[in-house]
Amino acid sequence: MASKLTLSNRAGWTFVLPGFALISAFIVLPFFFAIGLSSTNQRLLSPNPTQFVGLENYQQLLGLAVVTLEPERDDAGEMLRNEAGEIQYPRLREITRSEAYPQYRGMREWFRWQSGENVMIVIASDVVFMKALVNTFLFVLVVAPVQGSLALMLALLINHKVRGINLFRTIYFMPVVVSIVVVSLLWRFIYDGQNGLLNSILQALTFGLFQPVDWLGNPSTALPAVMAMSIWQAVGFHMVIWLAGLQTISPTLYEAAAIEGASRWQTFRYVTWPGLRNTAVLVLVVITMQGFALFAQIDVMTNGGPLDSTQTLVFQAVERGYGKQDISGGSTISVILFAIVLAISLIQRWLTRER
Amino acid sequence: MAEVSLKGVKKSFGRVEIIKGVDIHINDGEFVVFVGPSGCGKSTLLRMIAGLEDITEGTLEIGGRVVNQLQPKQRGVAMVFQSYAIFPHMTVRENIAFGLTIARASKQEKQQKVAEAARILQMEHLLDRRPSQLSGGQRQRVAIGRAITRKPAVFLFDEPLSNLDAALRMDMRMEIGRLRRQLGTTMIYVTHDQVEAMTLADRIVVLKDGQVMQIGAPMELYHEPANRFVAGFLGAPSMNFLNVDVLDLDGEAAMVGNQSLEPIRVATRGRPFRKGGKAILGVRPQYLRAVQSGKGLLHGIVAHAERLGSETVVDLSLRDNSELIAAFDEDKVFEPGDALELTFDTALAHLFPDEGELQTH
Amino acid sequence: MAVNPDNYGLRLFVRYLVLCLIALIFIFPLVFMINSSFKPDSQLLADTSSLRAFLPVGDISLNNYFGAFRRAPVGLFVLNSVLVTGVTVLLSLLICSLAAFSFAFLRWKGRDVLLSIVIATLIIPFETIAIPLLLLVSKLPWIGLDGLHWGWLNSYRVQIIPWVADGLTIFLFVQYFKGLPGELIEASRVEGASWWQVYYRLVMPLSGPVLATAAILKFLVMYNQYLWPLIVVQQESYRPVMVGLGYFFQLNVAWGEVMAYLTLITVPVLVFYLLLQRAFIASIASTGVKG
Repeated sequence: MASKLTLSNRAGWTFVLPGFALISAFIVLPFFFAIGLSSTNQRLLSPNPTQFVGLENYQQLLGLAVVTLEPERDDAGEMLRNEAGEIQYPRLREITRSEAYPQYRGMREWFRWQSGENVMIVIASDVVFMKALVNTFLFVLVVAPVQGSLALMLALLINHKVRGINLFRTIYFMPVVVSIVVVSLLWRFIYDGQNGLLNSILQALTFGLFQPVDWLGNPSTALPAVMAMSIWQAVGFHMVIWLAGLQTISPTLYEAAAIEGASRWQTFRYVTWPGLRNTAVLVLVVITMQGFALFAQIDVMTNGGPLDSTQTLVFQAVERGYGKQDISGGSTISVILFAIVLAISLIQRWLTRER
Repeated sequence: MAEVSLKGVKKSFGRVEIIKGVDIHINDGEFVVFVGPSGCGKSTLLRMIAGLEDITEGTLEIGGRVVNQLQPKQRGVAMVFQSYAIFPHMTVRENIAFGLTIARASKQEKQQKVAEAARILQMEHLLDRRPSQLSGGQRQRVAIGRAITRKPAVFLFDEPLSNLDAALRMDMRMEIGRLRRQLGTTMIYVTHDQVEAMTLADRIVVLKDGQVMQIGAPMELYHEPANRFVAGFLGAPSMNFLNVDVLDLDGEAAMVGNQSLEPIRVATRGRPFRKGGKAILGVRPQYLRAVQSGKGLLHGIVAHAERLGSETVVDLSLRDNSELIAAFDEDKVFEPGDALELTFDTALAHLFPDEGELQTH
Repeated sequence: MAVNPDNYGLRLFVRYLVLCLIALIFIFPLVFMINSSFKPDSQLLADTSSLRAFLPVGDISLNNYFGAFRRAPVGLFVLNSVLVTGVTVLLSLLICSLAAFSFAFLRWKGRDVLLSIVIATLIIPFETIAIPLLLLVSKLPWIGLDGLHWGWLNSYRVQIIPWVADGLTIFLFVQYFKGLPGELIEASRVEGASWWQVYYRLVMPLSGPVLATAAILKFLVMYNQYLWPLIVVQQESYRPVMVGLGYFFQLNVAWGEVMAYLTLITVPVLVFYLLLQRAFIASIASTGVKG
């Protein structure tokens, strides 16, 4: 029986209303908006009415196909070769523009490989999006384990009561409170090809043997450079989370391990690590979430370049939704991003479930 | 000042019934103690009177007014909690004046009432301290001070002494007794400690599994327990219970005995027994006396003895392997293995129906 | 290498050496930033090849700071950020603690459903709703002193209101409130306090630690805002520091002036952090304890 004695409906709703209304309006509503908008052709400012387009936006982004090009042959069936002796293939355009293959219309080459005498080509409706998707996953797959384990090492190093340890903890954590925009600009200077500090340091360390690299201007080093800086900036954050996890392990367990004669490695393996299992999952999930949200570093340091080698999902979502005012396109990328994030948090749930 | 009356009061959480129909009438100015083992519902019942828990069924009247649906502040009650619940960010003075501040009392009134409470509880020197600077007993005094300033119609105490150590507990117990005489307000006091119950109460309500087992003055409960539970709950060491056979039955007494007990005649006090059936004989350890061989009603072997100085508690094993505790009010030496014969005044013994036996009827 | 395990002094020395080397890695860009902000570009660029990059030596002056202020309304950007951050932090503490108070202490119909909605929003990264939110705020009405407007773009409110309430802050408050002794709340109810009085007389005065945590987390988020103001604020007059920085950098100004700008917007936060480092670190740690 619900009674008005211990049930305070009016007060309860009054207190919760401002906060809940704001969350509904600015988090929940836009979230459902994103899903709705991804099935329209909505633009930020447009004279034309918005139309429902179904899954077209998703097809536009996710369309993928593999085409096989067979060598061009003469009437005798011999493969044609150019002067350098290379096998001649028909041009991809002949397929993507052909009336015979309407399903490939508008798709462009993403990458290709040789298979026997044929060439296999992966074509995508949106090559830039595909690159952004791959880069984002690459970023997460590298940063999560590296940043997570470096942070754990720092935490273990810091988790000793020696004089002045607080000073070191304070310093290691310092980059976390500095804006990622500031950090990105600073590191642009550090990574600079001519006057960059990194090149200077490497040259000094190798006594001039090192050849300067334009870290952000080179497609093969740009993404790793962004990864390294991101790890540097946030490793202190995760160090603190590891430290909080370490402090939940009862000191008596260490005393018991010491009495049993466990080595330092054994102590870590059988006492520390089992006690950190949930922290480990949390750290990985937080890094993963932060990784999928990668934007400011890219916007400040590379703008997605060079040659789309640092495109990311959020950068693409913003570039379309804001830069090109293509709200529906940006929303579609957002929904895809959310689906990925949701899948990861479900995996986290599964990993930390009560057993 | 007010009387408190519970009529058919029930409480359930979902399908689980916690309080199973309680009727209690508490007179104006009476000190009533709810006592029982943990989980018996005594605290829940008190919180229902305070207005912190819903009453699922039945009515609660305070001062002749049904208050089931009234908020705590409208009921005219004050409560002292087990953890004291004094506000850590306020001084003692602010704590004591809290209810008056909430009621927007004038500065003058607050000052006067705080001073009065401080005088009654002898803590004038503590008024400007913070709770963190106080001992457990002082904190409890602040909590009581906060309760008395508002001059409530009913005081509610929820195990107020159980967080204190033994010595302090006795002091505070006496203090509460003194306060009670001084204020003369209706008080309801919950405890699991039978000493507190026996020493403080005008009447005790013994609860078990959400039901009232017996209501009565302390000595009434001690000498005339209504059932085996009350008999066993009050008194330390607990009453001995012996399984006996009903040998014979007449109007108001039964002849009972077993292989370790010589046949004796015990008053039935109107309880139902059956000739040839089983019964339970209750004898308090204090009523047992050691006697010379051949004159005892009970024959046992000493298993273990504890000398406490003022009394000696002996654990005996009887012929039928049942256990018996005897408490002698002098310092005596017993060795394990000693044979011992005991006797007691059969008028002080109680006969209870055997529960298993009752169910077959 | 034979390190005598009993040689405590040597081991301690090695430990400190490692700690210091790592500290250098974390601190060198910031030291470089601050020192460079006092140097003219010619010297700044020349110094990068030597240790002088990390030392305040040579032609030291405040010229870069004057230059930065001449080049762009840096003061205005800072003011905008301080205003937006300050107002958001205060509103957030009030509104989120009120909601959490209701979730933690009051019983009402729909409470559990609403709380699970709030918790569920924790897995929505802001980046995934930025674009639809942009569309939403571009169409929202607002009644100001000068009547009804449509659209919130280019304003303070668009930078403040969407950030006031969030699941994490409410969650932190709820966790903290649930740890407060329930008997304190009951005692104040018996003493006649209304829920509002329980909130501001009892719960808020006892909530120092969680208020500090929530304020610090919100402060870091708000002061460092980038993506959101980038897309909703085009007018210079409402631009916050981090977005202003991007525009400033695109002016192709001298590196020294960039460093001056960076130093100017970073050092106050660093000082704030160094003063309250325990609270900062505790607040990050407390976000880790969730779940």
